[in-house]
Amino acid sequence: MMLRPEEKTQRGQRYVQALRQQFGTIIQEETWQAPEQVTLTVDLNSLPAVVDAAYHQHGGWLSVVAGNDERPLNGHFALYYVLSVEGDETHNGSEPESCYLIVRALVPPNKPEFPAVTPRVPAAVWYEREVRDMFGLQPVGLPDERRLVLPDDWPADLHPLRKDAMDYRYRPAPETEDETYEFFDVQGEGVLQIPLGPLHITSDEPGHFRLFVDGEHIIDADYRLFYVHRGMEKLAETRMTYDQVTFLADRICGICGYAHNVAYSNSIERALGISIPERAHYIRTILLEVERLHSHLLNLGLACHFVGFDTGFMQFFRVREKSMKMAELLTGTRKTYGMNLIGGVRRDILKEQRLQTLQWCKELRQEVSDLVGMLLETPNIVQRTQNVGRLEPQVAREYSPVGPTLRGSGFPRDIRVIHPYSAYDRVPWKLTYKDGCDVLARTLIRAEEFFESLSMVERCLDTMPDGPILTEGFNYTPHRYALGYVEAPRGEDIHWSMLGDNQKLYRWRCRASSYNNWPSLRYMLQNNTISDAPLIVASIDPCYSCTERVTVVDVRKKDVKIVPYKELERYCRERKDSPLKA
Amino acid sequence: MVLKLLREVLKVGQATVPYPFVPVEVAPGFRGKPEYNPEQCIACAACTIACPPNALSMETDLENGVRTWSLFYGRCIFCARCEEVCPTGAIKLGADFELASFTRQDLTVQAEFRLAECQRCGAYFASAKELEHVLALLDQAWKGQQSLSEDDISARKALLRLCPECRRKVDLPRVKELVHTAWPAVEVLDGRI
Ligand code: SF4
Ligand code: SF4
Repeated sequence: MMLRPEEKTQRGQRYVQALRQQFGTIIQEETWQAPEQVTLTVDLNSLPAVVDAAYHQHGGWLSVVAGNDERPLNGHFALYYVLSVEGDETHNGSEPESCYLIVRALVPPNKPEFPAVTPRVPAAVWYEREVRDMFGLQPVGLPDERRLVLPDDWPADLHPLRKDAMDYRYRPAPETEDETYEFFDVQGEGVLQIPLGPLHITSDEPGHFRLFVDGEHIIDADYRLFYVHRGMEKLAETRMTYDQVTFLADRICGICGYAHNVAYSNSIERALGISIPERAHYIRTILLEVERLHSHLLNLGLACHFVGFDTGFMQFFRVREKSMKMAELLTGTRKTYGMNLIGGVRRDILKEQRLQTLQWCKELRQEVSDLVGMLLETPNIVQRTQNVGRLEPQVAREYSPVGPTLRGSGFPRDIRVIHPYSAYDRVPWKLTYKDGCDVLARTLIRAEEFFESLSMVERCLDTMPDGPILTEGFNYTPHRYALGYVEAPRGEDIHWSMLGDNQKLYRWRCRASSYNNWPSLRYMLQNNTISDAPLIVASIDPCYSCTERVTVVDVRKKDVKIVPYKELERYCRERKDSPLKA
Repeated sequence: MVLKLLREVLKVGQATVPYPFVPVEVAPGFRGKPEYNPEQCIACAACTIACPPNALSMETDLENGVRTWSLFYGRCIFCARCEEVCPTGAIKLGADFELASFTRQDLTVQAEFRLAECQRCGAYFASAKELEHVLALLDQAWKGQQSLSEDDISARKALLRLCPECRRKVDLPRVKELVHTAWPAVEVLDGRI
């Protein structure tokens, strides 16, 4: 049984064959989870070589890496490197074809280490740091020795996601009083350090930034996040049943919660081979696009704010309210829609709701095009954003960023096109990408996508088929696993879920889009002025926090200065009276 | 640009609503505070199993034969799973979303239910209301069935008034016979095959 009954053939056979030819017996096992998902178990020592080949020879992008403690199942730890393999640009003259290719390797518990992939595929860096924290598996050859997720005061030998490690409620006593995290140390004449945070720039969660500047010029940047890691994966695996996790997935993100919900539901539906009704596919698509509406309006509003056009910010937020109302009307609540069950959706869209939504779409199109027009006519918008915060295509290619961040650097990559889910291959729509590589490109993409989302909501409402909205009566099969993925407003959200044998999940790996965007931010900040830093960070539309203050380190004078974040933000807007002077 | 913006601002007027001095209207079907009706509740615990954040819980006191149902709004996520699974419509989401309170007590709703006593050994086992509910449903279902005599029906009902342990013991001879007819070679020992 398959999610899409019309799709019978396995996509991506050609990549599997090519890898088999290249690696022979190194590939020990091949299993298909879905027509577009294949897992290859490979010899541990060749893990980097196989991931490298899939990434660089077959147009692979690193979507997520999942660690798993499979000792109770097969005596080993397992690593799953999930790549979206899309072929090279030329496709060797044949039709382009894409699949999720998952490279799996087993790590023996008596020697908990594995050869790091990061030296060959830099996009793996955060994942390997996280696997070390959570499972205590040592990535040999990983250049970055620092923790990623665990705090400094966490016990060194306690790895929370190991099955025998701890109860989800356990809070170990702090091991140290001091901050031991080592930020980069950039040396050089005239280099100054500016720490931003731990409370962040655009939203209200903590993250710490350190900018290295020479005068007003950013030379390098380092940052630390995960100050408020919520332990959701552990919570889901131990406390909740698999069908309750949809409601937790809704709460991963205050903006793209529904995208996570659909990604999670899809992962279970694929693992269990559940076909969901056509109408449910359409309803999910409509709600995903409604979510994109409010998300993009928020970011466009912020773009106004950061270039000093605060009236525009207020106006964007005013019209954004209509998209929130739309969600309330269609789901019963403004956020955390709670609309999915495994097998479909819980609430149908009725005639009045449809008509009201269509009416609001029409109004929003008019209101937002007026506002976008005004934003683009703001005298300094182009001047402030063009060629600012450049994400060079080569850097993007190596770090696998996602969403508008990647599409702004010339890559037409959108999960809705590459791996269509829900109704994205049923209604016509247009993909947006630009090759400006700068803040302007990313902002314009969001503006264009907003209008495309409106059209998509309208098309789906007009063409959705009648019928049931929920499939019930399926069987829970232990230890099956699969991926679910959604193009959220900030890019691909991806979930890898493995069922347990107790109505729970054995393992849940959820990865939000910003996770893939952070590592390349460093390169976007380099070679810009600090007055542009908030603007650049906002341009990846990061999901995490409000950088409350900024520390500036002057390498020439060897002094450290802490600038309140409000001050840096003010400087970004007014570009007068540098906070570094005086 | 400035002119256009000014025109827009003037056209819109004041966008801020005077909430909380004027109530805000919510869309029909809005999911607010779950409203509970203990009269209709049979203490079956379906909602407590479905509730994702454990806002709903059930405690069973086998000593005193009391089951306590409680809802703590402080944990509720307004998902309506309880409403969806409740067999009697005892819990339904309303439109109220203003739950702020100074005391935890205001956020807790509780109801107590009597447990049924086993007619044979006297142990408490299921919620009495739930048992009556089930019996009434079965009554409906069995009534029209030709194959069941009045006696059959009351025997079956009497069986349901026993705790699971006694039920197994009392029902054993019948099961033995059934098994014997179906598979003569199989021997039933003390309830196990
Ligand atoms: S609405 Fe959801 S969270 Fe609240 S009590 Fe019901 S099931 Fe629990
Ligand atoms: S599901 Fe309904 S009847 Fe059963 S305990 Fe909950 S509220 Fe009461």
